[in-house]
Amino acid sequence: MAANRPIKFRILELCNKNGGAWNYEVVRQIQKEYNLKGDYQRDSINFDLIELASCSLLKDVEVRVDEEGMYKKGFLLHKYVITDFGKARAANACLMYV
Amino acid sequence: MDLQSLKKQEHQRRIKKGFMWAFFCAILWGLWYIPGTVVWVLNPFDAMYGEIAATNGDAVSLIVTAVLITAFNALTVILALMVWNGALGKFGEMKRTLKEFHPCSKWFFMASIFGGPIAILGSFIAMGFVGGAFAAVAALAYPVVGSILASKWYGEKISKRAFIGIAFIILGGITIFGGGLLTELGTGNVAWIGYIGGLMAAVGWGIEGAIAGKGLDIAEPDVGLTLRFLGENIIWWIIAVPLLAIFGFPMFKYALLAFEPLTILVLVFAGITFGFCYVTWYKSFPLIGVGRGQGIGNLYGLFAVIFIALFFGDIPSWTILVGGALCLIGSSVMFSEDTGQMESLRGE
Repeated sequence: MAANRPIKFRILELCNKNGGAWNYEVVRQIQKEYNLKGDYQRDSINFDLIELASCSLLKDVEVRVDEEGMYKKGFLLHKYVITDFGKARAANACLMYV
Repeated sequence: MDLQSLKKQEHQRRIKKGFMWAFFCAILWGLWYIPGTVVWVLNPFDAMYGEIAATNGDAVSLIVTAVLITAFNALTVILALMVWNGALGKFGEMKRTLKEFHPCSKWFFMASIFGGPIAILGSFIAMGFVGGAFAAVAALAYPVVGSILASKWYGEKISKRAFIGIAFIILGGITIFGGGLLTELGTGNVAWIGYIGGLMAAVGWGIEGAIAGKGLDIAEPDVGLTLRFLGENIIWWIIAVPLLAIFGFPMFKYALLAFEPLTILVLVFAGITFGFCYVTWYKSFPLIGVGRGQGIGNLYGLFAVIFIALFFGDIPSWTILVGGALCLIGSSVMFSEDTGQMESLRGE
């Protein structure tokens, strides 16, 4: 399944679990699976998360300040979960087995 | 800083970025009118227009020449986009997205039909049968179509304030082109074809935006846009140009003559400005919504007149001051909207 479908599909899958997923976890996972290295790719994946949330496919359920530098020190960390709209939109794209 | 204000700050940054993209779109779109105007008087397009006009009349000649110019425009746009995606390292994502025809690339190919042969050709038809000012004014209506569709189709929230902003910008555009519009409406013998062209432009670009918004839900804007232009190149180069050649128009003869240094330079400039105006347009949609992105993008009317005045010395009439002021009011109304409203762009 990994790394052969568009990144946003995979992000939706990763956020489709109880309690959601933290942005730094998703970003790391995607970087590993798609072999995307470097800070530019990291920020680009995080921006995909921001776009998905902006379009209401994801919503943040928890926010905290990145004290330890998990993603970027001093910035916010978001825990995202897929919304009902996101599930419906993903149903005919990447979450067919759900 | 506490969590709430950090969150608010992060959110405002997102909205600002979206508006910035849309604003750049308007500037680049306006800039595109320079090569977009110049290319018509360059050979081979000038000679092509003359040859076809001699046998088929001015209006037909204008549309057939427009097809070839638009085809070259689409070609240089995709070249610019390939460089752009290469620099961003997005070829891998492009391949992955292209393969997902049903959920992803289908939308971008549909967007290319509405944005390409319907909107651009419609715009040229409006220009040919009624006039340039009418074509510009007709196209200004597209954010209305786009935002209504995006709201009805997938529930994009469009605030009253954003709609007021769009209305001001459209009024501003109408005022800018107003004088020319009145003269044009009185002339022309087969004007109704031109009106249909104008309608095609407004509806085409509006639908394109709404469809693109749908595809961009689950795709990257840079990649999605490149697929949209891949579609447009197929439409022009594999369908329209050969079809017109079969009907006896000298398409290939003039296409081969286009490889002159100055013509290529102007076409490349057109490709870069048009390509990046589209990049910024598509990038703004997921951040501020189709309605706002298109509304701010509509400022292209003002920029086009300004750039044309700067580069060609066509002094615009005084109405540009009134129109420009209306555009400014409209944009301020949108820029200053409370961003809290835009936390999520769609109602759940």
